Amino acid sequence: MQDEYIVELSHIMKSFPGVKALDDVSFHLKSGEVMALLGENGAGKSTLMKILSGVYTRDEGTIRIFGEEIHEMNPQKAQELGVAIIHQELNMCQHLTVAENMFLGREKVKGMVLSQREMNEEARAMLGRLNINMDPTTIVGDMSVSKQQMVEIAKALSTNARVLIMDEPTSALTSKEIDDLFVIIRKLKSEGCGIVYISHRLEELKHIVDRVTIMRDGHYITEMEFDENRMDTIIAHMVGREIKEKFPRISCPKGKKIFEVRNLNAGRMVRDVSLELYEGEIVGIAGLMGAGRTETTRAIFGVDPKESGQILLDGQEVTIRCAADAIKAGIVLAPEDRKKDGLCTKLSIRDNIALPNLDILCNALGVVNRKKEAIMTNQAVESLKIKLPNAEVDAGSLSGGNQQKVVVGKWLARNSRVVIFDEPTRGIDVAAKVEIYNLMNQLKKEGIGVLFVSSEMPEVMGISDRIIVMCDGRVTGEIMAEDATQDQILKFATQFESKIGAAD
Amino acid sequence: MDKKQSGLKKLLAVRGMGQVITVGIGFVILYIAFGIMNPVFFSGKNVANLLRQIAPIVLIGVGQSYVLITGNIDLSIGSVVGMSCMISATLMTKGMNPWAAVCVTIICCLVVGIINGLLVAECKLPPFIATLGTMTIARGIAQIVNNNYNTDSIGDGAKAFRDFFYYGKMGPLYNTVIIALILWLVFNFVLSKTRTGRHIYAIGSNIEAAKLSGVNVVSTTVKVYLVSAFCACVVGLITCATSGMGTMDAGNSYEMYAVAASVIGGVSTLGGQGILLGTVIGAAIWGVLQNGLQFAGAPVAIRNIVIGVIVVVSVLLDVIVRSGKFSKKKG
Repeated sequence: MQDEYIVELSHIMKSFPGVKALDDVSFHLKSGEVMALLGENGAGKSTLMKILSGVYTRDEGTIRIFGEEIHEMNPQKAQELGVAIIHQELNMCQHLTVAENMFLGREKVKGMVLSQREMNEEARAMLGRLNINMDPTTIVGDMSVSKQQMVEIAKALSTNARVLIMDEPTSALTSKEIDDLFVIIRKLKSEGCGIVYISHRLEELKHIVDRVTIMRDGHYITEMEFDENRMDTIIAHMVGREIKEKFPRISCPKGKKIFEVRNLNAGRMVRDVSLELYEGEIVGIAGLMGAGRTETTRAIFGVDPKESGQILLDGQEVTIRCAADAIKAGIVLAPEDRKKDGLCTKLSIRDNIALPNLDILCNALGVVNRKKEAIMTNQAVESLKIKLPNAEVDAGSLSGGNQQKVVVGKWLARNSRVVIFDEPTRGIDVAAKVEIYNLMNQLKKEGIGVLFVSSEMPEVMGISDRIIVMCDGRVTGEIMAEDATQDQILKFATQFESKIGAAD
Repeated sequence: MDKKQSGLKKLLAVRGMGQVITVGIGFVILYIAFGIMNPVFFSGKNVANLLRQIAPIVLIGVGQSYVLITGNIDLSIGSVVGMSCMISATLMTKGMNPWAAVCVTIICCLVVGIINGLLVAECKLPPFIATLGTMTIARGIAQIVNNNYNTDSIGDGAKAFRDFFYYGKMGPLYNTVIIALILWLVFNFVLSKTRTGRHIYAIGSNIEAAKLSGVNVVSTTVKVYLVSAFCACVVGLITCATSGMGTMDAGNSYEMYAVAASVIGGVSTLGGQGILLGTVIGAAIWGVLQNGLQFAGAPVAIRNIVIGVIVVVSVLLDVIVRSGKFSKKKG
């Protein structure tokens, strides 16, 4: 029984207008195993799983679930068959309660009337089983993103799923919650569920994964047992070539101090933060989720109000009351959530690059100079090697890595002095990550100050020259990258907060 | 005492009740203020009239609230009122049995609802545009059914019809009020206690999540527009019964009154939020203002200005209260 496949997808084809998303892809899942589905952005992982869960319909190919061939597939059918998916983007109704979200689409009714109490009780039992501490009558919109993610997981499990698909489940979770999730996954595995696990955070895999399936450009590449020592092979399969350096590093002479923050206070999450930035270096800000790193960048950039503190650029104090002040001074931010805060996804790439630079591009009457605009866009596209059909396409249609380049591109068009990156590589694949690192290195070489927030420890250690560690809204430590060890960073990151355990 | 407290707690736990209570208090203050200015305002006769004035606004408000909670809007309500009034009156003047005429009218209006729902959910037109189109079409139909004229009197044969919808009384309450009350109870039950109701909130809150959870978005959206068209149809029949004839511009700008009643009562135009009790209070505030200002001798222009200000202020207050709550949570 152990070795029988519970899910068999064979020769799946799927085209979207103009693109062949899946070309003859096969996929097998056994009961009681965790299968990692790996591949770069746009490899077709999510598409394949959306076909399995009935969100998309396949053009060709067969689906067998528990040995039964399924012809028509839709979300309801998938649910009945015991296939549940946790989507990459949060899909919660913000106005409804936890229990209402968990039972959405399969509400319990007595006659015509909803049995609210029964659903609340059942939701409470499910949350208890998963060790999630929350009241099922809480409104989802009032909870943190990571809590919402846990609700999403509980929702999927409450359908009594035997096949569970998790698409990037950890990207919004804190390390403590990731630990909890792994405990849940192991438990489900022992109960005989099959789990498909999609993640870009390859370092997570060793904790839970049994086998991997690798996809590239809509093709099935290979299926293999997971082996921690063969990570290089796995990555090579994913990107189709060997990545020589995961963390390219260039060395520049350290120049003069360009940027300084003194005793910045802004709310509970930014308390007495001071930091310095020199020419020719990249400073990484490490810390656990909720350490106040994003809040610090937002306060510097003037999005959130400051209570006190000074910001100095080239030794001169600058007053930043709003984002426009920061931009004018030459301090810019590439925010954490590209789609929400970084780009107007429905506008073209050209419009996006021009947006913060309209002061340069417009004449005295406020009319945009299209010629200057085109030149600026072309320069950005060329210097950053942004891959795009043309500059008129929607920014939202680009891949994650290229979107990130557009975000950076719009700031580089205006001689910025300090660029702050907040989680620049979240949700983008290995190859695109390297390009982002190269981009940061290029800025460093040009003497632009680079401040870089990241939750991924290897990345911070691999790219930064100096690491600032934050915890609970304070700077708790500063280490030169060459001397840094993970343990050391973690020690600083958990100072004053001993109750939170670290994932790894 | 203990029991009372838990009752209050339970009441406050109902989503959206907080704002309804705030608006309810506003309503009481307003009502008392007008009463003090002019004691006739409190008289039984005026209260009965006032209720009868409010009832149609409650009905169209209920329909619009349904649509707004799904995150859409129905601009065709006013025109459907006109269409209903003209079709029923024309059929009756042509000698059709009034109740048969009522049935035909309801069917015609429901067709508009179905079209609205399909245009929005199936064809994915923006609801503003889709219902702007049907609004114009429905008004055109109202004009064309009697060759661009208001109808003559619907005659004595229709007395039972007129009593049923407007002039009759049960106990102290006019039939109009009873009709509104019954429909409100039914639609409130559907919205708060049934699966369809839950799906309506879910669609307004996050349509993608609803879809992925297996909610049938198209059928739910069509249902919502059907409710809206049905409510507008009943109001059209009431209008016809009131004047005893069909008028082509009956129900003009009612869709906006319906939005106003909903919004004052705490229904969010962005979807996912609001309860029908709020809509009733919103409609009541509307009616009391109209009636009270009339008593106070204010000209129509002033009434419009006051009501416009009330709409904006009530939503503004809500926004301020909410942002206050959020900033507290963050800090």
